[in-house]
Amino acid sequence: MTQTFQTLPHTLATGLMFLNSPLALVIILSVIIGLLMVILFYYTSDQDAIAVAKDQLKAQLLAVRLFQDQLAVVVRAYGRIILGTGRYIKLAFKPLLIIIIPMTFMLVQLDWYLGYAPILQDQPFLVKVKTATSETVNDVSLQLPPELTISAPAVHVPSDNEVVWRVVANKQGAFDVNVATAGQTFAKKVVVSPEMNRISLSRMRAPYWERLFSSSEPALPDNSPIKAIDVNYPERSYQFAWMEWNWIVLFFVLSLVAGFIFKSVLGIEI
Amino acid sequence: MRSTRSISDRRLLALVVAVAVLLFPVPSHAYAGPGAGFAVLSSFWTLFVAFLYSMYALLTWPLRYLWRVIRGRNAYGKARFKRAVILGFDGMDPELADRFIGEGLLPNLAKLKSTGTFRKLRTTYPPISPVAWSTFMTGVNPGKHNIYDFLARDTSNYLPFLSSAEIKGPKRELKIGKYVIPLGKAQIKGMRKGTPFWHWLGEAGIFCSVIRVPVTFPPEKFSGVLLSGMCVPDLKGSQGTFCFCTTRASNDKFREGGVRVPIERNGKGYHSYVPGPDDPVAAGKEMRIDFAIHPDLVQKTAKIEVEDESFTLKVGDYSDWIPVKFKSSMGLSARGICRFYLKELEPELGVYVTPVNIDPGYPDLPISHPVTYSIYLSKLFGPYATLGLAEDTWALNEEVLDDNAFLAQAYGNHEDREKMLFDALEKTPKGLCACVFDTTDRVQHMFWRYLDDDHPAARNVPRDKRPQVIQELYKRVDALIGKVMRQIDDDTLLLIVSDHGFKSFQRCVNLNGWLYNNGYIALKEGVSESRDWFEDVDWSRTRAYTMGLNGLYLNIKGRERYGIVDEKDADALKEELKAKLDGLKDPASGSVGITGVFACDAVYAGPYIDNAPDLLVGYGDGFRASWDSVTGRVTSTIFEDNIKAWSGDHCIDPRLVPGVLFSNQKIADEKTAIVDVAPTILKLFGLRLPSHFDGKAWTLANASATAQATTSVAT
Repeated sequence: MTQTFQTLPHTLATGLMFLNSPLALVIILSVIIGLLMVILFYYTSDQDAIAVAKDQLKAQLLAVRLFQDQLAVVVRAYGRIILGTGRYIKLAFKPLLIIIIPMTFMLVQLDWYLGYAPILQDQPFLVKVKTATSETVNDVSLQLPPELTISAPAVHVPSDNEVVWRVVANKQGAFDVNVATAGQTFAKKVVVSPEMNRISLSRMRAPYWERLFSSSEPALPDNSPIKAIDVNYPERSYQFAWMEWNWIVLFFVLSLVAGFIFKSVLGIEI
Repeated sequence: MRSTRSISDRRLLALVVAVAVLLFPVPSHAYAGPGAGFAVLSSFWTLFVAFLYSMYALLTWPLRYLWRVIRGRNAYGKARFKRAVILGFDGMDPELADRFIGEGLLPNLAKLKSTGTFRKLRTTYPPISPVAWSTFMTGVNPGKHNIYDFLARDTSNYLPFLSSAEIKGPKRELKIGKYVIPLGKAQIKGMRKGTPFWHWLGEAGIFCSVIRVPVTFPPEKFSGVLLSGMCVPDLKGSQGTFCFCTTRASNDKFREGGVRVPIERNGKGYHSYVPGPDDPVAAGKEMRIDFAIHPDLVQKTAKIEVEDESFTLKVGDYSDWIPVKFKSSMGLSARGICRFYLKELEPELGVYVTPVNIDPGYPDLPISHPVTYSIYLSKLFGPYATLGLAEDTWALNEEVLDDNAFLAQAYGNHEDREKMLFDALEKTPKGLCACVFDTTDRVQHMFWRYLDDDHPAARNVPRDKRPQVIQELYKRVDALIGKVMRQIDDDTLLLIVSDHGFKSFQRCVNLNGWLYNNGYIALKEGVSESRDWFEDVDWSRTRAYTMGLNGLYLNIKGRERYGIVDEKDADALKEELKAKLDGLKDPASGSVGITGVFACDAVYAGPYIDNAPDLLVGYGDGFRASWDSVTGRVTSTIFEDNIKAWSGDHCIDPRLVPGVLFSNQKIADEKTAIVDVAPTILKLFGLRLPSHFDGKAWTLANASATAQATTSVAT
């Protein structure tokens, strides 16, 4: 299942890559995922109970309006609205728990395409290496392919166990930067391209669930003296409806709108 | 083994990931998709709207209170009670109630009788529900509220129309070829005149909850909430048209109230349809809802598929209320609800469908005030019967439903009404709460045959096999009253009223037949009996006729289209008819079939008396107008047995069928009438009585009985 939810967004994203427009991709994915989530909600929720809970809430709302001269009735209805809301949230919780798992995988995968842009040619970027111990900091070197060059001396931060290089690419493509220390070498992929691409922010020595959010590369060995190799890819922002959006916020709004439309069309109680 | 372990690992992984996401949220990943968004957004929206509503209600309450004080409406300043609860039980009979009290069946009514009040309540002329309840609510005689029967007659064509409301198409229509596009809503006009007493209470700032009081359709605006009762039509605009879908071949038509629809084989299953209202766009075309039936002869069930709904019924089972949407040819639609009943499965298949009620959640016609009240009740309790005559007596009469199926339907509606009543009691801690239950009327109409020793409609049922349906009905009502008594305090007036009592209906009187035999009605040449609604009657030689339940009309020149009786001769003719009909005996038994004939100008007074019949016929105990006479049919026989399930009635001499009055208060007046209820309530709330009232307010004997009656309730 994990594999499916990792593969599905990758397939979707690569399939829609021809659009060459991250915004169009966000919109289309929002609609598709909005639809999928509504259908998933339908199959994982107690539709009858949700319908009843919603009707009860509506009834109490109407009671507040209908019996507004009866203060005690209004207060009681308000109390029932709060209780009813709790009941409704409880009913939504089970499908929510089920949806949260595939949704997490999908969003993380999509974030690698939509959350960050690849490095541009001739645009300086940082390669940051985090070592396991402070002693290793001065024993780390960066080995680059010919297409990449170091544009400034390395900055060593022993207090944070970090070494940072500023690098520039003179050609487009996917390259490996190698970090060498204590006779071992560790590679990290760097993507240089003006187009949308799958981005891995970091290569890490960490458990799976921690790597899940920021790395699509294999883990560094457990005994590696290097804890992480990071590349500071620029964050993407989206111009939509005369505003600048983070993709996840835009996705939230658009998938909600799509979900509300589809639930009405399909007659699904949410 | 490996595979199982792999699945288990993945589940564990998924769980770990989910927990990790929840425990270590990264800002950009905190969003869990539309599902969470919907839940949060909907809940927040609900709370937000509720908060706004509540704040509005709370903040404006002092202003509204102040406004009432400034306008001199210190609503409860002179009120004897903070709340009045009126429970109406249509047709509850004082003699039966007293008999069952004596037999120890009704402990709560017995308590009210001993510590409060029990009286016979004089009813109206004629003792028919729409007439009596109109008098109940307006405090006036029919001459002032204009309701004399369910039906009134059109003097231009001698045809009947519903006396309580007129429903017409929209004012403007656009005709395009064969299509007629309505521009606007249907026009509904209430025919009942007079002002219900809850309007006066509302004006004084006293809140009222009024549930299913007859003749409240269309609902009128006032300060309170109201759900309309008897006279609300079904979606076809009729007073209830059931549908019997069957594979049995028959060309017979139901006498009234129903249509027969064929079930046809369709591959392995069957299909049929529910007839709906006429298409508002294509004239003369009926809208329909198709449904499929898949019988399972092994399980003795059938799966029914109607639009998006699918359900399985056993033989003898009802479905829940099923929403249906009739679509016209130009995208217009009408929403309704109906219940399906699987009558038989083999060798023939039969499905009964209730009349399609107006959907209270999406009312196409206004059935409550405000409109949102019916929606509120629908959201709170689910769909419920909205048709005025919701218990399908016709289907039992026509033997489409059996006794048990009818009772299940009637008590289903009764339970819904109980829920509405108790909600209204909770929502009306001060003011008026009035609710009318129809089950008493319908069940007595249909099951009196088992109460009589020798009813023609029950002669094939041995006495020891006759169910005690009416006893059970009264016990059920008593239990409900007990439940209400437990919920009210000493500062609440409780009135239990009925609009009329009940008597057996064993013999039919074909009054048109008598008029024909005695030369008052003439038929066209070569005809010895007429069809419905006076087809074949020769009006040029007819002096008097009857239609409806108690009214007798003269064929007056200048009033009726083909009138021949001069106005100056009318009184003499009335006297002649009175003299001949009063005391008319049934030759079979020697019993008096007609115990009184009353001139309407003697029993009514008011501006609408011209719409009244000329005479009212009061049938004797055991008699009633025949089914044929009611529908304007002229027959050659005068008396005949009533062998229908509809075996009890009240449309007789009003002196024989008073209603009941129970109260938790001691009422000093010995003689009480239904016309007195409105003035009594206004007086007890300290309001001045309008001068046009015909009733008089009762006097309470003392207040101490209240506590005794309400605090000690039998269970």
